[in-house]
Parts: sequence; C-alpha cells; structure tokens
Amino acid sequence: MDHVFTTGDAGETDRAGALLAACLEPGDVVALSGDLGAGKTHLVQGVARALDVDGAVTSPTFNILLVHDGVLPLYHFDLYRLEDEAQLEDVGFFEMLEADGASFIEWGDRFPDALPPDHLLVTIQRSGDTGRVFTLHPGGVRARVLADCWIAAIKAGASG
Amino acid sequence: MRPLLAFDTSTDHLAIGVGDLDRPGAVLAAADVPAPRAANTMVLSAVERVLTEAGLEPSSLAAVACGRGPGSFTGVRIGVATAKGLAHGAGVPLLGFGTLDALAWRVWRSGEHGSRGLIGIIGDAMRGEVYPALFEIEKDGVARLDGDRVAPPADVADEWARHGDAIVLAGPGLSKHRAIFENAYSGRAHIATERVWVADGRSLLDASWAATGPSTVREVVTLERSDAYRIAHPGALLPVYTRLSDAEEAERRRGAIGAGTGTPPPSGVTGPAGGDR
Repeated sequence: MDHVFTTGDAGETDRAGALLAACLEPGDVVALSGDLGAGKTHLVQGVARALDVDGAVTSPTFNILLVHDGVLPLYHFDLYRLEDEAQLEDVGFFEMLEADGASFIEWGDRFPDALPPDHLLVTIQRSGDTGRVFTLHPGGVRARVLADCWIAAIKAGASG
Repeated sequence: MRPLLAFDTSTDHLAIGVGDLDRPGAVLAAADVPAPRAANTMVLSAVERVLTEAGLEPSSLAAVACGRGPGSFTGVRIGVATAKGLAHGAGVPLLGFGTLDALAWRVWRSGEHGSRGLIGIIGDAMRGEVYPALFEIEKDGVARLDGDRVAPPADVADEWARHGDAIVLAGPGLSKHRAIFENAYSGRAHIATERVWVADGRSLLDASWAATGPSTVREVVTLERSDAYRIAHPGALLPVYTRLSDAEEAERRRGAIGAGTGTPPPSGVTGPAGGDR
C-alpha cells in the first residue's frame, strides 16, 4: 500500500490525525518530521480530539513532554530544544515510550538511534500555501499495520 | 524507639516500610501499591498514611532510608529527591539501600527458594536491557555477589545459566524478558511467583539493615541523632542510575569524583562510578 497522502489545509491535517487515533494501540510510537509550521502539532491535536483528551493540546516546545489522559494516554514530545541524546534519559523518554499509551514525538528524527526500531516516521512537506504531503515510513511490523490502517481510513473518508 | 521510614519509588511499584533503629527486623507499618508513572503524586500521601498507621508524625522520625535504584530514571529521582526533602526537613540522616537488594530480600522472605543457591533479580532498564543482580542465599538472608550494571537480557541469562547453581529468578524485568531466561535455563530455572517480583515494606527495611558503606543504617545506628545527621547528611546520598544521566555525567567529569574506582562494593549500594559522596 502506498504510504502517502495529502491535506489541503490545517483543518484537514487535524482530521487526518483524528483518523489515526482510531488505529492506535498502547505502545505505538509515531515520530513527526517537518519544518516549523509544517503541521506536526495540528496532526497531534486531531489525534487528541479523537482520543477525548480534555484541555488544549499545544506543542510542548518548552515542556518537552506533555502527558494527556484520554481513551488512550497520549505522550506528546517535542525534542527541538534537546541538545544531545543523553538528555532523553533526563526527561523520562524511554519509560514513557514503553508505557501504556501512544507516543507522538515532534522533531523525532533528531535522535533516530533513540527511537525503537518499530516506530512510524511521518514526514510532512509543504505543497503550495496550505497543502501538505504526508509520507509514512514504518520501521517494523506494528508500524506497518498502523500505517496501513491510517491510509485505509483516509481513503475511506475521502470516498465517503 | 527510633523510627526509621524507608521507601522506594524506583520501579512501577511503590513500597513503604516503617522500622525501628533500636530493633533490627521490626516492622511497625508497611504498604506497597502499584504506581506506574504516578509515584510523584502518590508517595507523600502514602508515606503519611503509613506513618499515621504506625502512630507517628514526620517529626518523630529518627532516620529516612530510600531505594537508590537502579530502576526507572524518573522513579529513582522522585524517590531520592523526596527522601532528601523529608530527611532534611526532619533533621535526620538519609540512608540508602539498593533497589535490587530489596527485591532479593522479598524473594528470600517469601521462602520461594531452597536452603542454598542463588537469587537472580532482573530489573527493567528499558530499551530492551535489564539491571541484573545476583545474590547468594544464606541462612539469615541474602548476600550480594555483584555490582549494579545494565546489560542485554540474553547475555545475563547465558552468564547465569553457566553458573549451574540452583537459582530462583524474580524482578520487574521478567515481565518483558521471561522467555529469554526460560530458554537459557532450558527449564532448570525456578521463576518466583509474580507477587514477589516487587518490593514490600519489610523488604525495604531488610535491605536498609543489610546495606554497607556510607549513608547506611549500619553507619549511623549507634550514633546520636545530630551526629548521624552530620555523618549521613541528606545532601550526601546519590542515586544509582547505572546509565549516567547527562547532568550526572557532566558532574562526574567536572569533579572527577571516584575516578578509577573499579568494582563496586558487594552491597549494591554504589554511587555512579564510585561517587558515593
């Protein structure tokens, strides 16, 4: 299955996130890669909405990690401010990834060796003013199942 | 009576025990409860409940002891930081014990072992690795055979299986890696019931009494409170991360503390690279 889809604006990116939420299982790790303003946080906000998370979901640029309680716990990381991989231990990165929620990691491609092999890397590229191209790179068996589920939901949403 | 409060938040299981420095082995009150990633919100209220159950106030404590790890990075920090605050506030010494030592004592107390042989504790180090620790079963307790380290579970399983001694295995790391150990021992390993893979209040007190070195019960038990506070000052105790944190690594390089100290003492109470102080 082709692991690419596009969104026309931030609202569509949010909806794509909501469709991903239904595919998530405890322990899933999604790394997000894209420039500032690419829509990483919009995507996570869509996920959070579909998981019935209370309160606002903002990019944890300064907090580095924000935990949201939802249908599934949502661990939202932003690694932009970290200088080296060793600091991941200090923020409890690895224990959260192995906990009972789904982890979304903005700037997750900064420390590729720190990610578990079976993670889903999502790269976001601009296409015109508001359009975005999402490319999914599953790193293992579970990530491939997750990617297939997400793409199938997006196709069903587009045709229905 | 000189009450000793012991607790450990290094694993997903919060344990608290209250003992008495005048009566080795006494347990005045104890509690243990699963607290995955919630130790920070639970530890103080749980300590308060256990103290109340023992009829004590924080101000009546003679000493505080805490598990120094290794375990969850965040968990170790929460435990040690909370213990430092409690001990300093009460003006009492802060004493340490090894988290894996407490787990071994739990197994020993359970009686799920023969009169001789080994207890192998497997802590969860995350990222596919474990914190292994080996103990010899003795008539009156357990004796630590090695120092704290982090290792791949398959290496530990092979190494231990080659010993050939009767062994009972326990510890939170088995939840993820049980099959690796079962295969390495091809059925010879006895795996303790899951109930004793975690510490309880009594095992923390056992490990506190058994620990040797600076900032331990043995070091201060004969001292007056003010001397004990000075000798085992709450500021002196360091956590055992095994994988050094960024800040800890920088600190170690800066101070070059304990540079070149090789094998840690067999108590399991070891600082990062020997930096106990």
